[in-house]
Amino acid sequence: MHNSITNHQTFYNLTPTAMELVDFIDDGEDARHFRFRLITPQSINTPKPGQFFMLSVPGAGEAPFTFTAKPNNQGVFRALIRKMGDVTTALFQCQSGAILGIRGPFGKGWPIASLSDKKIIMVAGGCGLAPLTGLIDQLIAERHHKHLALVYGARNRALQMLNPERLRWQREISLFDVLEDTGETVTSSKNHVLEGTPLDAMDSVLRTLDWTPDMLLLCGPEVMMKAVAKNFLQRGLPAQSIWLSIERRMHCAVGLCGHCYLSEHHLAHHYVCKDGPTYRWDYLQPPEKTE
Amino acid sequence: MKIQSFYLNHPNTLRDHLAKSYRIEPPQAAPGQNTPPLVSPKGQLFAEHENLFTFDGECFRETLPNPEPFALFGVQSCDLTAISYQDQFFANDPYYQARRQQALLIGIDCLSPCQHGFCPSVNAGPGVKHETADLILHQLSTTSWLLLACNQKGLGALEGLSLNPANQPELNDRDDRIASCIEQFSDDSHLKQGITAINQNQVPEDLWQQLGLQCLSCSGCTSLCPTCSCYGTWEQQESNGDIRRQRFWDSCLYESFQREASQHNPTEKAGERVKRFWTHKFGDNFAKEFGRYGCVGCGRCEVTCPGVIGVHSVMKRISSDAQLDN
Repeated sequence: MHNSITNHQTFYNLTPTAMELVDFIDDGEDARHFRFRLITPQSINTPKPGQFFMLSVPGAGEAPFTFTAKPNNQGVFRALIRKMGDVTTALFQCQSGAILGIRGPFGKGWPIASLSDKKIIMVAGGCGLAPLTGLIDQLIAERHHKHLALVYGARNRALQMLNPERLRWQREISLFDVLEDTGETVTSSKNHVLEGTPLDAMDSVLRTLDWTPDMLLLCGPEVMMKAVAKNFLQRGLPAQSIWLSIERRMHCAVGLCGHCYLSEHHLAHHYVCKDGPTYRWDYLQPPEKTE
Repeated sequence: MKIQSFYLNHPNTLRDHLAKSYRIEPPQAAPGQNTPPLVSPKGQLFAEHENLFTFDGECFRETLPNPEPFALFGVQSCDLTAISYQDQFFANDPYYQARRQQALLIGIDCLSPCQHGFCPSVNAGPGVKHETADLILHQLSTTSWLLLACNQKGLGALEGLSLNPANQPELNDRDDRIASCIEQFSDDSHLKQGITAINQNQVPEDLWQQLGLQCLSCSGCTSLCPTCSCYGTWEQQESNGDIRRQRFWDSCLYESFQREASQHNPTEKAGERVKRFWTHKFGDNFAKEFGRYGCVGCGRCEVTCPGVIGVHSVMKRISSDAQLDN
């Protein structure tokens, strides 16, 4: 009997496609904004903002990261990566020209169609800004939304990331930097600088805006996202207008390895890699009792 | 295809015939009956560890398994039900499917309950369901067996074997024996109550925490469970310098299972992991997606758990707790 397994078209691909490390800039503490190039352009599907890919560093392993810019015609794309574990430590030791692997794009991105004519407030913490970066650029380019504000929280100046992007955006959107430790305030920036956490700063942010947000997008530590989401619910924003992007450990990104499950009771067999990473707030809440 | 049934003098006759075209698993002679083996055949299809690809410095090359045809001989209904579930779960996994399409499944009916088994409670036995096997063995007497061919693959495997068609009375006997076997299973009210309590989210968090304290994170349950499918990956350098990625069975009950590189761990407490394990096995949402619960009632977790939180122990604790509340 002949084994004809390779003819099946719908199989998951657990083997990466080759890509090259082009270059990087340092961007925040232990964080770099990398440029990668697909060895064969168009060898992956075009990602939507909020989708992610699996980065392989041969010998070290594989982990999920978001696209900050999708591949161009030459197959060059960008990703902001913080040095955190084995895979990223190995990546930070790689030189330009190093051959790495990519699989993806995976997951569900931000709900772009629902953002038309919306007054959007984004709240990001630390590297949580990365999954929103491609979306902000797309919104600025397409201008289907009405208003856009970004509240970006970080512990201090040194830990702020995507500095060139935020400089570029400050002419286009309302930008609020929130720092737990403000240190010496840089007065040349047009950004508003507030002290504390994004939640602490929210009253002041909303007073400053001359419009009321009707859409909230969140990405950052889960504690921060939950606190800000609940705060906006209290302010009267419906749960259906709140979206967040969730991070989980992953080893396959196609719903097989089991690592990225949600432990919420009614979602116990749901995997962030397929159902998420972007979720509407009400989806994550327990269903209302029908009895 | 309509099921075709034959008489067989002994399973070894079938086994010797199949051995001409298939590697037989397990390799020993007589098939076990009425008690599934401690280790299920899960690893024959979802390997305990296997290569995913190699990297030679420039290219990544998928390394699919390419096994010769093999026969899983004398598999009990619980384990066949588990394979049928994993066929769905791994439908698009090329490594699983490369093995699966080479496998012939020969089931065997159980005619008396095993010590910890409760297959009837979760619709997984004790008689082999026709859609889960290619061939089914059923013992009529010490010298006579029924052999059922459930599909073309099963019938094709019998080619060259001289068999007489079975008569309806013996087929009716089979149904009767299975029905009488079901009646002999012990009371399963703790399972039914436990499943209800889990799905109505009525199990108090502190009970999950108490059960969590008894979990030693040994992975005995998840390794022996015929439906558990979680895996991790790691990479090794081969002697020629190539990198090889492997996947291996992982366990959602390990403390580090969800721990991220940042040390953030969404399920840091053992109770949260234990709760999720049982919610995954007995969740109605899971059943909605896969047409059945994630548990096939083999009872292996009860046999192996050193912390006494196998399925019966957990469900008894949950159901007695629920009764105290009522």
